[in-house]
Amino acid sequence: MTYQRNLVSLNTLNEDRSWELATYERCGGYTVWRQVIAGEISPKEIVDAIKDSGLRGRGGAGFPTGLKWSFMPRSAAGQKYIICNSDESEPGTCHDRDILRYNPHALIEGMAIAGYATGADVGYNYIRGEFMDEPVPRFEAAVKEAYDAGLLGKRILGSGVDFDLHTFVGAGAYICGEETALLESLEGKPGKPRFKPPFPASYGLYGRPTTINNTQTLASVPMILRKGAKWYAGLGPEGSGGTALFSVSGHIEKPGNYELPMGIPFKDLLEICGGILGGRQLKAVIPGGSSVPVLPGELIMSCTMDYASLQQAGSSFGTGAVIVMADTTCMVRVLQRISRFYMSESCGQCTPCREGTGWLYRMLTRIVDGKGREEDLELLLEVANRIEGRTICALGDAAAWPVQSFLKHFYQEFEYMVRNEGRSMVIETG
Amino acid sequence: MKTITNYIRSLFLFELLKGLSITGGYFFSRKFTLQYPEQKAPVSPRFRGLHALRRYPNGEERCIACKLCEAVCPALAITIEAEPREDGSRRTTRYDIDLFKCIYCGFCEESCPVDSIVETRIYEYHFENRGEQIMTKQMLLDIGDKYEEQLADDRAAQANVR
Amino acid sequence: MTEDQTFTIEVDGQQLEARPGQMLIEVTDAAGINVPRFCYHKHLSVAANCRMCLVEVEKAPKPLPACATPVMNGMKVFTRSPLAREAQKGTMEFLLINHPLDCPICDQGGECELQDVAMGYGGDISRFTERKRVVRDEDIGSLIATDMTRCIHCTRCVRFGGEIAGLRELGATGRGEHLRIGLYIEHAVASELSGNVIDLCPVGALTAKPSAYQARSWELSEYDGVAPHDGLGSNLHLHVRRNRLMRVVPRENEDVNQTWISDRDRFSYQGLYSDDRLQRPMLRENGKLREADWQEALMAAARALKDASGARIGALISPSATLEEHYLATRLLRALGSNNIDHRLRQGDFRGDAADPALPWLGQRIADFSNNQATLLVGSWLRKDQPMLNHRVRQSQIDGALVMAINPVAYDFNYELDVDIVCIPSAMTKELAGVAAALGVDTLGIEAVPDPAHHGIADSLKSAAQGTVLLGNAATMHPDFSLLRALASGIAAAAGVTLGFVGSGSNDCGAWMAGAVPHRDTGGKAIAPPGLDAAAMLEQPLDLYLTFGVEPEMDVAEPARMAAALGAAQLLAIGSHTSPWLLEHADILLPAAAYAETSGTFVNIEGNAQSFRGVAAPPGETRPGWKILRVLGNLVGLDGFDYAESTEVRDEVLAACADLAPDNRIGDLQDRKPKSAPGEWERVGGVPIYAVDALSRRAHALQLTPDAWGGELRLNTAAAAALDLGEAAAVRVAQGEGSAEFEVRIDDAVPDGCIWLPTAVPGSEALGAAFGPVAVEKA
Repeated sequence: MTYQRNLVSLNTLNEDRSWELATYERCGGYTVWRQVIAGEISPKEIVDAIKDSGLRGRGGAGFPTGLKWSFMPRSAAGQKYIICNSDESEPGTCHDRDILRYNPHALIEGMAIAGYATGADVGYNYIRGEFMDEPVPRFEAAVKEAYDAGLLGKRILGSGVDFDLHTFVGAGAYICGEETALLESLEGKPGKPRFKPPFPASYGLYGRPTTINNTQTLASVPMILRKGAKWYAGLGPEGSGGTALFSVSGHIEKPGNYELPMGIPFKDLLEICGGILGGRQLKAVIPGGSSVPVLPGELIMSCTMDYASLQQAGSSFGTGAVIVMADTTCMVRVLQRISRFYMSESCGQCTPCREGTGWLYRMLTRIVDGKGREEDLELLLEVANRIEGRTICALGDAAAWPVQSFLKHFYQEFEYMVRNEGRSMVIETG
Repeated sequence: MKTITNYIRSLFLFELLKGLSITGGYFFSRKFTLQYPEQKAPVSPRFRGLHALRRYPNGEERCIACKLCEAVCPALAITIEAEPREDGSRRTTRYDIDLFKCIYCGFCEESCPVDSIVETRIYEYHFENRGEQIMTKQMLLDIGDKYEEQLADDRAAQANVR
Repeated sequence: MTEDQTFTIEVDGQQLEARPGQMLIEVTDAAGINVPRFCYHKHLSVAANCRMCLVEVEKAPKPLPACATPVMNGMKVFTRSPLAREAQKGTMEFLLINHPLDCPICDQGGECELQDVAMGYGGDISRFTERKRVVRDEDIGSLIATDMTRCIHCTRCVRFGGEIAGLRELGATGRGEHLRIGLYIEHAVASELSGNVIDLCPVGALTAKPSAYQARSWELSEYDGVAPHDGLGSNLHLHVRRNRLMRVVPRENEDVNQTWISDRDRFSYQGLYSDDRLQRPMLRENGKLREADWQEALMAAARALKDASGARIGALISPSATLEEHYLATRLLRALGSNNIDHRLRQGDFRGDAADPALPWLGQRIADFSNNQATLLVGSWLRKDQPMLNHRVRQSQIDGALVMAINPVAYDFNYELDVDIVCIPSAMTKELAGVAAALGVDTLGIEAVPDPAHHGIADSLKSAAQGTVLLGNAATMHPDFSLLRALASGIAAAAGVTLGFVGSGSNDCGAWMAGAVPHRDTGGKAIAPPGLDAAAMLEQPLDLYLTFGVEPEMDVAEPARMAAALGAAQLLAIGSHTSPWLLEHADILLPAAAYAETSGTFVNIEGNAQSFRGVAAPPGETRPGWKILRVLGNLVGLDGFDYAESTEVRDEVLAACADLAPDNRIGDLQDRKPKSAPGEWERVGGVPIYAVDALSRRAHALQLTPDAWGGELRLNTAAAAALDLGEAAAVRVAQGEGSAEFEVRIDDAVPDGCIWLPTAVPGSEALGAAFGPVAVEKA
């Protein structure tokens, strides 16, 4: 079966110098924004269209975007903000980076439209610190182009519409990808998640109503409005409209970003990516970034890549970062590496995550070092259970799920290592 | 009938002989009387005698002035005062045990988190003047220093049951 | 739904009333249902980070923190369900894995929230076999001992710093396991409320340094007390071990000090155990002091009192003496035929005595200060002089009130002043007259053209529904106090706000009630002609002086003049401490018990009488002051001096004051000529926070803080340059006849042409009044 690629957020990718304003406009860019400025589309129409399109947040949680926008008290007086979360730090995920590099204007147009729809006339793009090298200058150049073309700023193109867009570069903390930690960081404080409620829609940046969306989500908005909600919804299955950018990595012949329709069978995705590296056997896949539960190969082969199917299989669509592992992978070491990540990235604010992530990592390290004990495996699970759902933000859950799922699906590998002084089952038994 | 049996018994001094047989039995059996103070009875490693304060092998006193012994003492025999020592560590400035009050229950030893206050095997001591029954910190430390080897051995011997 | 509507929620099957907007934990706390917690504190913002108070809420998929879950109508909560228990136990385990469990050497042991909660929710055996975390300690000053390895990161101390103390000194740096509470920059904590973090800290990470390792919580008996240093009468718990006061902690009183106390109230007890406590009565014989027994000393004192002619006796009573002591001293003096009694030892100007109200007070309840919309501070470093009152003002400012000041120094406040007029002392009347002129009230003949700042103050006061003009300690010590007071009174009346006095000790109101002033008797009855006030007593030397609780070289307005007057006359000193000056000049020294050692009553500055018992043993042969005065009364043959208990004395005064209501109405001022004149150099006085009385001056730990004032004076960069002085250079100050040397601190808060040199600091005893012209030269 063949699939059309790069339909939405990377639609300019085939053009030369795809990141420039001229290219973007040649491909139909800014037509919706101009219509909005001209007053041809009302905010309500925008929100309804986004709701109908079935667009869901691509940052990991998959919250329906239209619904989120509708929470904003649009008519309330005072400053409101739209924020783009480009603090893409989920291990395995790299699609926001490519949007910033190759199609920044889609994001700018999307943010402007979102700002208009939610009543926010100031937007911030919070970009990950590690993107300092290429994506940040690209995006800033695009913002400048848009300002120069009069598409941003005060009284845009002589209308009554204002929209200012600022770039903010983070310092590389994973936790700042959590929306309220991002707000704290943007306010100049340590990036520590806030307790919710109140949600950002009522108490966000500087205490003002704020909408925060992922880069890919916002970059999809112009195309949805250009081609219609129905078209977009029709690209994917029920409940998972449109396309998604799959960041495929791991033991794969052709790793990379693939914008493909939602609901594509994993088998087909694997085929498009050239299959498992070196023709080996598929062992396991983490389908949505390191935070979501792992799925064994046989389970995911029957899945389609959309919210419902992956949820049913016991995992989640997450950010669409597909980490593929071949049969030569030692799952204990993978989990150790993942746990180390969460230990280092915990903000330290609430107890279970601050203390628990380090405990998990140390136990796993001990197991890998050959000093594991049988009871450690049960303890690992119990510690993970005691972190899950007990923390202010989702980082605790993200640290716990891999532990739970790895132990669920690959218990014998852990057991083998504990019983054999740290020797891996994969290496020993092939 | 009963009168007759009693008469016969008294006639033959039956009871007397019975009593004498016990005396005789002990007379010829092995003696276990100790010639104290020349001879001494064996003492259990768990014996609760005179108190001592121990030190670590490097000479540092063990006591950290947690005052748990003072709190647990049912006879209120222990009096402790403490303050930071020059190096900032928590130390007693006074550690008194009133031996008139002490009931040698051993709670102080049990409550001690650092095995500092212990009860030794010493049970022979006396006082000649009023006031001498107060064991001061220095006295207790001196006892500890003198018997450290035995104290350590005793504690090690009981380690599995403590 | 409005604020006062209530609804019911169900907690563990119990129906509880709740108001909208309340958090679950507030409702359970009110109902006495125990939910374990560490980070929650009712006077701090909600952080919800300790995760100890997780409870099960019906229909919520996850356990929710009770401290951050708003109540909702009909909600069903389970605090002990298996889910809640498991969550609480889970958090407890996480908290304990990296806690050192060094309870035996931890001062918090026995009163530790972590210990208590661990008893209920902790496991008995640790499953954590990895290495524990160790955190480096920081030296954060002489008051607070740190052991940050014990920290459980509840951030109460951090939030306290930002929200209550107004100084963000402690903060959380690092993240994850490396999150660490400490100072951003290593220095001694400078807040005057810093000691409260000791109480806030649920573990032993922050403990009291002065009482480190000295007592276990179970050895301490807790008694109620009242703070003896400022007019608020903060409520205290006194912790006593073997008759010795070991430490002081706050006693909750929402009307006065909430759950806080100042460091001065917390650590001044150290002064009780200084080496120079007066322990035995002493008599001067052939020019030399010798110890005497009470019988002999009291007879000698009574003889001296009887021998002196009534009007030639003067009494100087500490404003921090108890109500009973004030009353007995007043009765004694009046019975001897003298009205020369005063407690206003540091007041700089008595020309307004005839215009005095019967019982000057704060003008408002302390708690009402939080709700003021405008506050004008006149000559007040409220932050250091009355720290807990300043806390209320700060709260009002957070809620949007305007706080303005006219001060002789740009005092450092823990909030931004909305209008901050800093002027040389002699110009203060003029500045205040400017505000008066802006409001169109009598400027007492002072020429004043209001500038925008004056109008700003006037408008803010006028538009406030509730506000105050507060005369602070520097205003009281000012040579034109009567003028400042009259101006402030006019301003307050015109703007429709209250006028307030803060008092100089812990019992100013009590002194007024007892009649320890020359022109008013017990119950506020006017006396004509009045006796000599504190200043006049020194200007017109008397034959015999009775001082009570006073260190004459430190506690009076003009130390040099006092020394001359008291040194030449016979001196009967009753007090708790000796000083070199007293040992040289006193003829009879009687040791009186200090605070916490005597029963008594303080009437706080809002007019609230708070009695307390003596809980610590006074050293040596020291006796309670009221008993000494009572026996003196007996010995000089006065009737009705047969009190057996201090409560009898108290009841008598309070009965006499039944009709006396606090009142700040100022009468007409006769002498309106400003006394203060600008000089080449003007001295700016005041009393440093830790020099207000004998106790705080001797509290060793307080004297090591940045707020302690040694033998130094401050002047600004321009003044230093004019005098060719650098930091720490020696400078000689001459005032009147006396002169003394000080070390220079350069501080640009001091206005041009001024030196900031308080009284009651080393060296100041040789000089004159706190304000006035001085000569300054490089030494």
